[in-house]
Amino acid sequence: MEKFDVAVIGAGPGGYPAAIRCAQLGKKVAIVEREFLGGTCLNVGCIPTKTLIASAELYQAISNASEMGLKVQGVEADYAAVTARKEQVVGQLTGGVRQLLKANKVTVLSGAAAFIDRKTLAITANDEASEKIHIQADKVIIATGSTSAMPGFIPKDERIVDSRAFLDMTELPTSLTVLGGGYIGCELACMAASFGVKVTIVELLDDVLLLLDKDIRAAVKKHMTEKLGIELMTGEAMSEVAVNDKGVAAKVGESTVESDILLVSVGRRPVTDGLELNNAGIEVNENGFIGVDDRNCTKVAGIYAIGDVNGIMMLAHAATSQGICAADDACGLRPDGNESIIPGVIFTSPEVALAGITEAEAKEKGLDVTTGKYYFRGLGKALASGEIEGFVKLITDSETDQLLGAQVVGPHATDLISEAVLAIRSELTAEELGQTIHAHPTFAEIWMEAAHAVHGKSIHLPPRRR
Amino acid sequence: MAEAKPILMPKFGQTVEEATIVKWHKAVGDEVSKGDVLFEIETDKAVLESESFVDGTILKVLAGEGDTVQVQTPVAFIGAPGDDIPEVNAPPPPKPKAAEKSAAAPAAAAASAPLAATAAPTSVAVAQPVPAVPAAPTRRAISPRARSLARRKLIRTNSITGSGPSGRVTEKDVVAYLDANDYDSIHISPSAKKLAQKEELDIIEVRNRSGVLRLKIDDIRQAVLEKPNPMSKMRRVIAQRLTESFRDVPHFYVATEVDMTDLLAYRKQLKDSGTAFTVTDFIMEAVILTLKEFDVVNSSTDGTSVWWHSKVNLGLAVSIKNGLVVPVIRNAEDLTMSELHDVASELATKAREGKLTPDEMTGGTFTISNMGMLGVNDFNAIINPGEAAILAVASTKDKPVARDGKVVVRSMMNLRLSVDHRIVDGAVGAAFVNSVKDKLEDLELWKSSM
Repeated sequence: MEKFDVAVIGAGPGGYPAAIRCAQLGKKVAIVEREFLGGTCLNVGCIPTKTLIASAELYQAISNASEMGLKVQGVEADYAAVTARKEQVVGQLTGGVRQLLKANKVTVLSGAAAFIDRKTLAITANDEASEKIHIQADKVIIATGSTSAMPGFIPKDERIVDSRAFLDMTELPTSLTVLGGGYIGCELACMAASFGVKVTIVELLDDVLLLLDKDIRAAVKKHMTEKLGIELMTGEAMSEVAVNDKGVAAKVGESTVESDILLVSVGRRPVTDGLELNNAGIEVNENGFIGVDDRNCTKVAGIYAIGDVNGIMMLAHAATSQGICAADDACGLRPDGNESIIPGVIFTSPEVALAGITEAEAKEKGLDVTTGKYYFRGLGKALASGEIEGFVKLITDSETDQLLGAQVVGPHATDLISEAVLAIRSELTAEELGQTIHAHPTFAEIWMEAAHAVHGKSIHLPPRRR
Repeated sequence: MAEAKPILMPKFGQTVEEATIVKWHKAVGDEVSKGDVLFEIETDKAVLESESFVDGTILKVLAGEGDTVQVQTPVAFIGAPGDDIPEVNAPPPPKPKAAEKSAAAPAAAAASAPLAATAAPTSVAVAQPVPAVPAAPTRRAISPRARSLARRKLIRTNSITGSGPSGRVTEKDVVAYLDANDYDSIHISPSAKKLAQKEELDIIEVRNRSGVLRLKIDDIRQAVLEKPNPMSKMRRVIAQRLTESFRDVPHFYVATEVDMTDLLAYRKQLKDSGTAFTVTDFIMEAVILTLKEFDVVNSSTDGTSVWWHSKVNLGLAVSIKNGLVVPVIRNAEDLTMSELHDVASELATKAREGKLTPDEMTGGTFTISNMGMLGVNDFNAIINPGEAAILAVASTKDKPVARDGKVVVRSMMNLRLSVDHRIVDGAVGAAFVNSVKDKLEDLELWKSSM
């Protein structure tokens, strides 16, 4: 039986960085992957979605090219070609991961891992011909991720898809119902609507994208409904889903919604099936997650759980950060613990991003906060680029001027947020963010203006009425 | 035009000469009606509210929050807007410099606005504020450049040795101090710095205590929590009096255990028939009767003389929010038990509401401290200055005890007397507690007195 210092189960955005970090620190590392290197993120999540969205946005931009003084005729979306490009991008990235693992001398084992005891794993290869092998490892990092949750009342049919099956479609439907107004549902809804699909979003809660502040949400919803023609049905439960030759009919409240395809995106659940966690003495909580402490240690010494499977924050970049933290800890370094400022990025149209606390959270916690807002339409670069929708909002501690949160809705929101993350993590004050010189003319100037606006001193805003 | 009426710092009791305004409920320009609370004051005995005796508008406030003022001197003026504010005899101006400054104020303003006239130091300053914190540390000689550098670096200068004339701290000294303390190794997040500045923390101290490489806002918040806070005036008085007593009075303790079973049953019986007494009522009554038997326990000494008190002024320790007060039941021996009950509960209520007057808290000759509700077996109480003893009453608990050679369960309560051993001998103390015990256990006594 081959022995390793560290074994990582799952080669997603949490697992493969953890494996590489352990290898960098001189450990002998194995990584076990039962499906595809890169995990959900690279293969059936973040990357393919963004590839499709990039095509959708370009299609929209070309359709509106006349506003920029360009005459374009005959633009046509070839969705099969769009998805082929997606396959190519995914292929390139997963190939890259394989090469990186190889370059770092990480042993890649294809198959499903199961605990024999807390230091021994049985690997069942995917092709049934191969024999089951056993490996031993001093430390084990569980990074098995999550999968789409499917409510029990939804029938099984090829017209009913989860996000993964939706991405595999090589043809867009003419109409689409999206069950669940979370960020995955809204992103795919915007993408499809950009290509001309008639989209209806059904959300049980009072609003879509509830993690955002109301003013930010309002800006996204305005674009989604008015520019993309998406219909939002919120505060209504879906029931009785029926499928026939023509499509899917779902009862929503009192009315019936019919469409070619029903996309179900009501959340994700952790993947622990087949791991035989009980052989290692690990228990999952009532939602199926593996509980961990601030350094991602499970209750069993030497076993870590990172990423979606521990339920702290189901985002790829959170998994990467936790993976590196767990790897450092497994290799005997003493990391400070998980990062607390985790940005969230939503590739709707327009894009949205947030970091730190929201204004609503601050109110809930009874914090005394001040906000500063600035709109893209007040920026030279935004006007020049013809991208003037949206705004940013900074949330600061009224007592110390400390930046506590930031949200952006508008062009390049998902890239712009990084500056705010750095500022919040570094405990910068709004004053200092405002003092920092931002190159002109750029979209990033908006942070400087918003930081000044916190103190009512934005140069490019009329004085506040007193 | 009518003349504005002065609001005086009230005289709360015979022994109170000055009081500190802790909070103003009204500001200049506010309309007040008779009975409105104007401000809260703190004496060395209590925090009290002062109400307005007139209707009108606050025209001027002479003493602000934190100022300590002699009783019977004006702290504000009330009247109708535009009323004249009378000139009052004033103490000499504190500093000639300040007088010059005020004199230089534009004369026009003084002539047109009657309020402005009172701004001259010669016409007011009746409520001459005394600094609330006594004995402020002497000011350090420090050069302006040094002070400004220290302020920028967020450090305090009190541990810097001055090399200038008569120990004056110079900029060079501050730089040397920073170097000696490895100041450049301190990293601090901008938000943390802002908070430290606001809270006037010394970041060298914070660094030394937290030992982290980069001070973050949580480190500063921690340091803010650990910052020394000045005690309230009441707490300072409590501290001073308890220290004096414990240091100067040789305490001698003597304890006994009282079987409360029968008395508790009798109390319940009385209660069921409509007469409700508290256990404290019985203890007070037993103590008053016993004090009449032991004059020396109801006396005072300064170490050379002894005062015998003809009356029993019974103090009752009452714990309140942020402290402890001891209201006094005067001439307690003249009261019937139900009068005693009424007076005691009224005083206790006033104590909890912060409404005791200083006169209701002075002149005690003996004190009872009852911690019966707090689940304690036994405790030593510290004698109130000016008294000869204090009785500590512990909780009543069911215990196995020996009765007629058998073990039975009885409700037992510990009494512990602290006496000033200079005047009360051990044997007298022992006789006193046992006499209290005998009375509490003697049902016939209670039945005959009801």
